[in-house]
Amino acid sequence: MYRKQSATMFAVAMVLVLVGSAAGETTRQEFHFKVGHRASVSIVNQYGPISVKSGPGKQVSVTAILYSGKVEIDQSKTGNRVSVVSHLLDGSDAETGRVDYEVLVPSDASVTLHSATGPLHVEKLHGDVIVEGNTALVDVRDVSAGHVHVKTLNGAVTLTNVSDAHVEITSVGGDVALNAVNGSLVHVNSSSGKIHYDGDFGDEGDYSLTSHSGDIEAIAPSYASIEVVARSVQGKVENDFPLQPEHTSFIARAGSAFAGTMGKAASSVKLLSFSGKIHLKKR
Amino acid sequence: MTCEEFERVLPELEGGHNTEQEAHLKSCSACSGLVSDLNAISQQARLLQGSEEPSPWVWNSIELALRQDGLIHQSSRERARALAPLLSWKLRWLVPLAAVFLVAFGVLIRQRGTVQPPVSVATETGSIQPTETVAMASEDQQLLNTVAARMPSMRAAYESNLLAVNAYIRDAEQSAHSNPNDEVAQQYLMSAYEQKAMVYEMALDRSLP
Repeated sequence: MYRKQSATMFAVAMVLVLVGSAAGETTRQEFHFKVGHRASVSIVNQYGPISVKSGPGKQVSVTAILYSGKVEIDQSKTGNRVSVVSHLLDGSDAETGRVDYEVLVPSDASVTLHSATGPLHVEKLHGDVIVEGNTALVDVRDVSAGHVHVKTLNGAVTLTNVSDAHVEITSVGGDVALNAVNGSLVHVNSSSGKIHYDGDFGDEGDYSLTSHSGDIEAIAPSYASIEVVARSVQGKVENDFPLQPEHTSFIARAGSAFAGTMGKAASSVKLLSFSGKIHLKKR
Repeated sequence: MTCEEFERVLPELEGGHNTEQEAHLKSCSACSGLVSDLNAISQQARLLQGSEEPSPWVWNSIELALRQDGLIHQSSRERARALAPLLSWKLRWLVPLAAVFLVAFGVLIRQRGTVQPPVSVATETGSIQPTETVAMASEDQQLLNTVAARMPSMRAAYESNLLAVNAYIRDAEQSAHSNPNDEVAQQYLMSAYEQKAMVYEMALDRSLP
């Protein structure tokens, strides 16, 4: 029994040594840049997450965890523009080329993030936010008064509490969820991903949710003030609101298209799908 | 030699075929049928060169393409017809050639549809889209080759996305063609092209290594 315990302890020790060796491959690097008003920060990271938050003062702080020696970080600052790029070396792959970024920026900074895998996270900014990811999950929250542009191939996109913004989201297959998103322009263009909107269509904005085959669900309060058109060429269309008819060239068809106004029709809402289902729900 | 390889060299087969290509033609009825169709079209095209005025269908096709590209915004049949006499002496040889390419493209699509097995498109959520036999345009193939060279692990994802986006464009074009005055149909089309542009942009983004 004593021999068995020794063997077990030896095995555990070997595992710990191996894990330690692997962990020893990761290195941490930090960079700090002093910037002025409305700085521009760009981060390109093929593999790995990027998280950007609002930080104190007028500086950009970047903390990077590199998972192997097969990736290095190229960083530069020109005036008010900061650029950080994960430079993949020969032989790197999704594991060895991975870098995890945690970034703090002034709240008025504009950020541009590129990553194939992500996930990508941005919060508490009021500059422009441009995010591009292939399969990266994108999460943008508590952002106001800027442009928010998101592009993904299959990565799901979630925007939460985005106000007074100009929002454009394009995703081929990723689901898009907008929670409390208002602005002068909110456009979502999806091919097969689902689109979910839960807000009040405020700010007298232009809202357009368009898909090819993805279903569209929009949830709004009874006090929403909108002029709405909805059509699905091959899918079903449902509406929970009593709409006032309006003079329009748009042809309403029961079950596949409807149009009308609510309240003062302050915002324009278009819900268009080729073969997905559309449902305008009352909260 | 595979059908794909043969189709790639097809535009260069003006002077004849080498032994490998001959062997493939003998063994593949689809490719030999395609070559026969193209030869027939080419012979017929020579007869068209002497025509005085192209058929209205040709002008309609050109107008549709221009409207889809946003180069014209209203029905311009009168404008096209007014221009036709001015341009006819210059375009007399271009127009039948354009007709040949349109018909050849249609034949290629039909041939590929009978040759290629159905392709299943799997999405991130794991659900399987209905099978579709879609011809990948040469530009799309070039894009996929570029992606394969730079990011081999992403090739499959880009291919499935291109198939989805091409299906979107097809449906949107059909809808716009059927309802040329429908603003919503035009918006579908713009959205579909926007998706395609995004896929190309992301694939060719020089920011990513």
